[in-house]
Amino acid sequence: MKKLTWRDDLRPVPFLIAFFVAYVLFTVYPIFKGMQMSLFNWTLIEQQDFVGLAHYANLLKDPNFWEAFGNTTLFVVLSTPTMVILALVLALMANLNTKLKTFFRGSFFLPSILSVSVISFVAIFMLQPYTGVVNNILQAFGLDKEPFWLATPSLAWVSIIAVTLWWTVGFNMILYLTALQGIPDELYEAAEVDGATRQQMFWRITLPQLLPISRLIFLLQILASFKVFAQILLITDGGPGTSTRPIILYIYEMGFERYDLGYAAAMSYLLFMVLLVLSVIQLRLGGKEGRLL
Amino acid sequence: MKHVFGKFAVLASAALLLGACAQTTGTTGDGRMKLDYWVFFSGGDLSYMEAIVDDYNNSQDEVYIDMILQDWDDYYTKVVTSVAADRGPDIAVSHAATLPQLMNQGLLEPVEPIMAESEFDFGLFPDNIREAVEVEGAAYAVPIDTHPFILYINNDLAEEAGLLDEDGSLKLDESPQGFKAFFQQAKEALPDKTPLSISTGGVDVYRWWWTVYFQMGGTPIFSDDLREPEITLDREIAIEAATYIHSFFGDVIPMHIGDFYETFQAGNAVGLMTGVWATGIWEGSDMNFTAVPLPQSFEVEAAQGDSHTLIIPIKEEQTAERQQAIAEFIAYVSDRGADWAKAGHIPARTDVVASPEFQQQPFRSEYAEVASKVVFTDKTIYQNPAETDMVRALDEIMSNRLSPEEGIDQMLDALRVTTRQ
Repeated sequence: MKKLTWRDDLRPVPFLIAFFVAYVLFTVYPIFKGMQMSLFNWTLIEQQDFVGLAHYANLLKDPNFWEAFGNTTLFVVLSTPTMVILALVLALMANLNTKLKTFFRGSFFLPSILSVSVISFVAIFMLQPYTGVVNNILQAFGLDKEPFWLATPSLAWVSIIAVTLWWTVGFNMILYLTALQGIPDELYEAAEVDGATRQQMFWRITLPQLLPISRLIFLLQILASFKVFAQILLITDGGPGTSTRPIILYIYEMGFERYDLGYAAAMSYLLFMVLLVLSVIQLRLGGKEGRLL
Repeated sequence: MKHVFGKFAVLASAALLLGACAQTTGTTGDGRMKLDYWVFFSGGDLSYMEAIVDDYNNSQDEVYIDMILQDWDDYYTKVVTSVAADRGPDIAVSHAATLPQLMNQGLLEPVEPIMAESEFDFGLFPDNIREAVEVEGAAYAVPIDTHPFILYINNDLAEEAGLLDEDGSLKLDESPQGFKAFFQQAKEALPDKTPLSISTGGVDVYRWWWTVYFQMGGTPIFSDDLREPEITLDREIAIEAATYIHSFFGDVIPMHIGDFYETFQAGNAVGLMTGVWATGIWEGSDMNFTAVPLPQSFEVEAAQGDSHTLIIPIKEEQTAERQQAIAEFIAYVSDRGADWAKAGHIPARTDVVASPEFQQQPFRSEYAEVASKVVFTDKTIYQNPAETDMVRALDEIMSNRLSPEEGIDQMLDALRVTTRQ
């Protein structure tokens, strides 16, 4: 009897082994390889001398690193709340029982299927001075200036956040929409019998029911925002100057333009630690027994 | 039994991986020797190189050159990683400025011993270009051109603004004030046109600054040391050059033009400054333009420029036969310098410059003399990252975020970080 259970337990193993090999090869191995790299002077070609924690020590003294880290943090702080709240608002709109429902769902989600290069080039095209559509519209409404969207640090941030919002909010919206549809109708029916207003229903039923998914979206969004890279590379290349350079772009520059993989790996590990700590804090704070859902 | 199955799965996935990484065999279907040739050219240049390669492939049936266009943005990263993985190209294009970095990574072979087999004469290059491909005493590439930073003028608009003499030459006084006055006159005469089209930030402003800095008598950016260069940039002259250029922005150059090529190409700008490669592009359009060297406005004769060169990346198992073929192809491209010059470049070899095929081409023969004045970059492995630093600092100055003093100090700080000082 006992032996049979053991054999039953082993039955899925052959089916999992291919995935397991790939997982070890492409995820587990690089994690440790990267850790090793961060302790060496390492070019794209070869491993050079062991430097111990010197890269980490240099990091703490590198003003560029802190600037880039600050830029990324700024992006996270500005983009995360808007990303979550806007997704909720859009999901509520898309969940309304109107004829526009399909249109809303499609149009809100559609930008998410575009590639980052497409949305970046559209953004550059629309935001450029003198000929860009954004400035032309603003001037049609009586603006007497030529805003340089991508050449003024504050406006460049506004542009990047707006573009990112437009591009990615659809994914969060879908998560919210699914959760909204998962709320049992009985709750609303009971509330109606008790004479609750629509506002009360929203605050007392909808929002609390969405709390678990909100926590998940919030966590995923923070992690995603910390990893912001491609659209900034393509739209401003970290400019003007270095004022919109996020941490991943700096890691990329160090690793693949200056061929200093050791230093780049050390930075990656610092970022990894930050994300790990944030994730753990959130998991601890969220839900019963540390569960998200 | 299960154990065996597990092993099989590992082998199967390993086989799958290896299969995906299989090397190209080095021969084509019909048995010709296949050489991979990587280029980063775009727009104008590409078609001229394509024509040369096609001609070579049709000229004989032993060797087939497979020209592969790589994206410019991470071209050198791809070269470095592919060579490191022993899957690199047999021949590749590189800028002269990047040779020290590639050589220091251990990717390059000295080319003279290889080229000697096809009796290639390095004495045909002028000194400054020959020196530009030398790192620590050995030549690591065969230069095919020099491409200086020059000035383009829309003849129709210039005439309308009264900027041309009777014989059609520019009424341009070779002095700092004269150069600016030229475009100020354009601005007054044609208020709805752009007097001078160039991006506020980016590499073209850096090229312009480089020209002015060296014309003002600036010292080299770095000392002559491959791995541990000192920064020898003359702060005062650097500030002076930046101040001069800055005075154009917001005056005769609109701030942050979206696409400064397009502005000129659409006939909305009197002048534009960029590399010579634009010549080939605009000859294809019906625009009436002139291409001239940047005026010699200051004391020292100097120009910014670089050189496209052909490199032979190291391959572990390269046969003598293949090396011979590589050398022959490189010599062929070098001989076809006049055809390559159709893109706008100035051929690297003096005999090609003197040839009637080149001399008959418009503009190029007029700006060909600039090639000898080009101040090439210093031989340091930090040249490419240093260029990024300089471009960024100039960007801050030209867009009024930093004064020229602050901007150049930021440039120096960034260069110190880059060169680890």
